[in-house]
Amino acid sequence: MTALTLALLVPWAAGLALVVLDGRRRAVAWTSVAALAATLAVLAVLAADVLRGGAVEYVTGGWPAGVGIVLRADALGVTFALLSASVVLVAAAGEAVVAVRERTFPGLLVLLAAGLNGLFLTGDVFNFYVFFEMAMIAAYVLTAYGAQRAQLRAAVIFASVNLLGSFVFLLAVAGTYRVTGTLAMSDVAVRIAEVPASAAVAVAVGFFVAFSVKLGLFPFHYWLPTVYADTRPAVAAVLSGAVANIGAYGLLRFGAGIFTDQLRFSATVLIVLGAASIVYGGVLAVARRRPAEMLAYSAIGQVGYVLVAVGVGGPVGLAAAVLYSVVNALNKTLLFLTTAVRGPLVAGTFVVGALSVAGVPPAVGFVGKLAVFRTAVDARSPTLVALLVLGSALSLLYLFLIYQREFWAEDDDEVSAAGDDARGEHTRSMSLRAIIVALALVLLVGGIWPEPLAALSAAAADSLAAEANGAAR
Amino acid sequence: MTAPGSSRGPTVIVRVVARLLLGPSVVVAVALIVKGYTKVGDGFAAGMVVGLAVALNAVALGARGAEEALPVLRHAPRVAAAGAALALVSGFFPLALDEPVFSHRPGPDEKVVSVGTAELMTAVSFDVGIFLLVVGVVTVLVHQLAEPDQEHPT
Repeated sequence: MTALTLALLVPWAAGLALVVLDGRRRAVAWTSVAALAATLAVLAVLAADVLRGGAVEYVTGGWPAGVGIVLRADALGVTFALLSASVVLVAAAGEAVVAVRERTFPGLLVLLAAGLNGLFLTGDVFNFYVFFEMAMIAAYVLTAYGAQRAQLRAAVIFASVNLLGSFVFLLAVAGTYRVTGTLAMSDVAVRIAEVPASAAVAVAVGFFVAFSVKLGLFPFHYWLPTVYADTRPAVAAVLSGAVANIGAYGLLRFGAGIFTDQLRFSATVLIVLGAASIVYGGVLAVARRRPAEMLAYSAIGQVGYVLVAVGVGGPVGLAAAVLYSVVNALNKTLLFLTTAVRGPLVAGTFVVGALSVAGVPPAVGFVGKLAVFRTAVDARSPTLVALLVLGSALSLLYLFLIYQREFWAEDDDEVSAAGDDARGEHTRSMSLRAIIVALALVLLVGGIWPEPLAALSAAAADSLAAEANGAAR
Repeated sequence: MTAPGSSRGPTVIVRVVARLLLGPSVVVAVALIVKGYTKVGDGFAAGMVVGLAVALNAVALGARGAEEALPVLRHAPRVAAAGAALALVSGFFPLALDEPVFSHRPGPDEKVVSVGTAELMTAVSFDVGIFLLVVGVVTVLVHQLAEPDQEHPT
């Protein structure tokens, strides 16, 4: 209980204090890194508790269940909370070792972590929305980091599209309350079975659209390339590695945990949309020239794998979806951070990231791809397997196109000039390179020793299955 | 922002009403906080009432004019931060007592010290924190929309 509360209190209080200080001072930037590290440590303690003793849950204010707001940490929630906190920590450290350019940046990163922790660790639909908005508002401001024309444009696009997404989400929350009369996730999961099918599907579609907008899935991806390509690399890493987790977690929690029947009902649609994302993202990534833009389209393609895995469902599919979300977030964080730096060491780490996205053995991406392929084989669909192979081949192609243009043709200024103007010059900071190399090593170690990650995602899928079974009883 | 007194600025009626409304809006806000819990009212609504009065002043006098008339508005960022801190402390202090967060003191069925209608309990201090946060943030927003900081030379 204490760890669960501290996971909210530490980043929240630290973020509030930091956001009023001048983040351009080194001491403040490093304090934010320390606060994020402390958050991560608390989450690790909480994760150990959850994995050993099952879900940690309690009601605020000591109220009876159904009156107070439920805070709940299960394996799925702590997995995503750990992942997002690590990504934010890496981005904050990466910016702190070079130079923070805006006074609110470190504080907002910590507040973003507080919002993300809150939404991953709540058992209440409306509380989820509150923390979701807290994280998104921090993200809107972070997108403008750098304050050049390109970043401001990205921030306007990101904020307007995602506010629409949040509005759809709020409508779905209101609809849920209207049809079930409760907002506690476990009660909603039970009562949704008695709701008229059309109303339940309408609410479920609302949630699906809202999370797809966050995640940047195929028909809702239109905002994503401009935003990811024009923000600064550290922010792009946070958006793709931490904020996009809201979408993946939401699809799993609401889709597989609450609206299980509706998910089964619409499985084919999800798989088709996921496959469309994979192919669309891959093909458009090959056609782009700026590395950041290629990575943005790659992000659209990669989340398709998650949706396919959710669509197929079952213990194997859900575990694959969790595993792939984790792997994809780490890959994207690494790759977006490498767009800011140059040097042979960084070229090496880029190759690790590229192999991981494509799913080539030594990197952790192989484990993720393997899980998704198993899911496709389980679904007995040769078309799906072929599409997944096609997506992987495309990702190998566009990532090595970037590698060739950016790292081999480094002296050829003509090629990279267009990208450099928008993002500021490349830094050659040794410490930033050290952070990127450390992240690449994590990806390699994860690939060589995948058991902990596999066990974690299996536990997360089990916690979802337990929730759904609890509802069925 | 149009300068006050120019022919296209708000009329004198708007300016006078804006000044006159400020006092009553604070009174209404205090009433909303004090009579909450058993009747309609809370810190957020109270904060919005005062925030709207501040915004009306900015419309009538211009952001700079409003700040000259009410120098206290310059402390808005600090007020917002202090309010958020007060709300957090009121919410999370039970952690130190090993109780669930947002447990309030005095608890249900315990004796509450009252000052007039105001009941002194942590739920009220939480709402005062929310009130300060909302007023501070609305004031900062109005200020920023009227005259954005030139922090980033482009």
